[in-house]
Amino acid sequence: MNEIARKRELVKEFSPLLEKTTKTSKIWIGFLIAVILVGVYAFFVQLFKGHIVTGMRDNVVWGIYIINFIFFVCLSYSGAFISGILHFFKTPWKNSVSRIVEIITVLSLIIGPIFILLCIGRLDRLHYLFLYPRIQSPITWDIIAIMTDLIGCFIYLYLTFIPDFAILRDNSKNAPKWRQKVYKFLAINYQDTTEQREKLHKITRTMSVMVIALAIVAYSVLAWIFSLTLQPGWNSSIFAPYFIIAGLYSGISVIIIAMYLIRKYYHLEHYIRKVHFIGAGIILLIISLLFGYFTFSEYFARWFSHKTHDTDLLNTLFTRYFWMFIFANYIGVLVPIVILFFKKLRTIKSITFAAVIGVLGLWFNRYLIVVPTLETPYLPIQDTRPEFIHYTATWIEWALSFAGVAAFILFFILLMKLVPVIPMSGIIDNEREALKNKKKTHKTISE
Amino acid sequence: MSIKLEIMKINLFKNPFIASFIAVLLFSFNSVAQEQDASNFKMRFNFKTIKQADDSRLLEVNFIGQNKEDRKDKIPVVGTEIKFYNILNEEEILLGATNTSNEGIAQIILPKSHKYLIDENGYINLIAKFEGTDALDEEEEEITVKDLHLELNLEEIDSIKTVLIKAFTIDSLGVETPVEEAEFKISIQGMLSKMKIKEDYIEDGEFEFEFPTTIPGNENGDITVFAILEDNDDFGNVIQQKTVNWGIFNKQIKEEGNTLWSEAAPIWMYIVLTILLVGVWANYLYTILNLFKIKKEGLNITKQED
Repeated sequence: MNEIARKRELVKEFSPLLEKTTKTSKIWIGFLIAVILVGVYAFFVQLFKGHIVTGMRDNVVWGIYIINFIFFVCLSYSGAFISGILHFFKTPWKNSVSRIVEIITVLSLIIGPIFILLCIGRLDRLHYLFLYPRIQSPITWDIIAIMTDLIGCFIYLYLTFIPDFAILRDNSKNAPKWRQKVYKFLAINYQDTTEQREKLHKITRTMSVMVIALAIVAYSVLAWIFSLTLQPGWNSSIFAPYFIIAGLYSGISVIIIAMYLIRKYYHLEHYIRKVHFIGAGIILLIISLLFGYFTFSEYFARWFSHKTHDTDLLNTLFTRYFWMFIFANYIGVLVPIVILFFKKLRTIKSITFAAVIGVLGLWFNRYLIVVPTLETPYLPIQDTRPEFIHYTATWIEWALSFAGVAAFILFFILLMKLVPVIPMSGIIDNEREALKNKKKTHKTISE
Repeated sequence: MSIKLEIMKINLFKNPFIASFIAVLLFSFNSVAQEQDASNFKMRFNFKTIKQADDSRLLEVNFIGQNKEDRKDKIPVVGTEIKFYNILNEEEILLGATNTSNEGIAQIILPKSHKYLIDENGYINLIAKFEGTDALDEEEEEITVKDLHLELNLEEIDSIKTVLIKAFTIDSLGVETPVEEAEFKISIQGMLSKMKIKEDYIEDGEFEFEFPTTIPGNENGDITVFAILEDNDDFGNVIQQKTVNWGIFNKQIKEEGNTLWSEAAPIWMYIVLTILLVGVWANYLYTILNLFKIKKEGLNITKQED
């Protein structure tokens, strides 16, 4: 009875988040839709005129679409990885961040592959990938890995949502009918009985392990798309672990940024506290150290071995891409390390700032992996023209990239309208656990 | 220091040898050498003769100073004149004179046609002389060798690749006398130096052995074979060489394995992929089945409540 009342109380507490839409958020949503519409227009321009409207030519066939793809997919894998770890190890403060992580995981896994579709010149032949797959091609592995991971993440995310759907189903008598219907359908008759709860916990736990394993496999496959070629800058045996670390770096940074924004605009200071930022900040510090180490190892080996193609690549990086290289691999790594290393500097704002620098640095790091290599290819390209060698993204590509980011944020906001960003079931679970412990202690004392 | 330099200058003009020797001492990598003079060095004057493959004879002197305290510290004596003589009793014929190189080596080559003074036992007496300067004592070394004729033949006998060696001397009447016993070795030319493949004794002037069939040779399959007598008491150094096309071209025949760009993927790839996918999808299925169970249980509870 007490629990039912508490559930009602929680729904009451979180219902403004679900039902009310402020003027600012309406303007914000309008802005995001506008950005997406510009992207849709750009897409149609590209569809009808072909890839000539992009900056991609014979040499650089992978531009910022692929960079965004890697960025979002890595974000998703790292989200899955972190979420799996939070669940599996029953991290004490996981409740406040786990849903944010889960939403990031699924949304970025939906947005990421769209960029691949944008990069394909002949979309009308897309089905050939499935009709005539070559098992020995890393691209095929990636398609299989992404699809398997996407479905796995959906199932996993849904499992974590079920108890909250049940709470909302039972406590939204005043909500619109469609919302009640959606909750009823998605809650699959979950009544929070001990048996149901145990069953759900068991499968969630198994899925969390599965999601960690899948993330590692999918990360590696993504890295292999690059490292199994002989291209300078790509052909590296440490690329798979490097991608995992880089993905975690961007993943944790985006989680911190999301935590900051959600805390600020939804006034959830009570749930998302400084301790969460400090915890995430320390993890970011460790990952940034690892990321810096991997980046150094990667470029140091290339510089030292002095192979002709690698030397050409490094020359390009240190001339044409000098400032981007400095920002991506020095500022993007060292600034977060300095901020997070000193205890005094660890405030919510500074940790978020470090995360922003980390995300931007990592995006440029991806750019430096993809574009300069294609500008200095391993095999010479026949009949290439000087204007084909250098790549600069056009407005079409930027418009579609920003549309991707806007879609990510918009879907995030819409999902938060459907389910509270702080899992209510998690709060109940925590309280139930605390009560149990309290009873146990009482019993021990009375005995 | 300046006095020292002055002396050096005087010496420089007086005697080119001293100058060069000091120069070598000064620019030696061993910095201690700058403080030392010739008295700290023991002079090594080595003379040897090599009868070469074209039957010409090389006379070579290696003239170096060896540090008495540090034996590894060797300094070549550069630019000194070495004279080579052929002597018989009182008769002394100057064969030639040459200066030592930067490495301290003086060499002259006498053609095949050169007639040597030969004693009654068939020996040629050769002397290398350094006549000495103010700073260095004179040096002289004598060697006595017999003119050995070494024949190297590479033949296929009954399709077996055979190395045939014949060693003999010829007296004044033109009679061939086989060598009773002499140690020798067979080498082949490697990329950087000679590689020994056999070491044995010539007995009664002849030796033969089966050439190994596993040597690849150069890109044309050619192998240069050397028969060498080294520091022999009677004959000194004698080298004979021949090139033969006996190389076994060592082409590595490797069948192209199943590669990522071949038509079909390797079988292990199918197996691994199947195991992974079946493992993952079975787990999804298990999860979904459990969700249905949860749904069913919930449905029962709702019915009971109703």
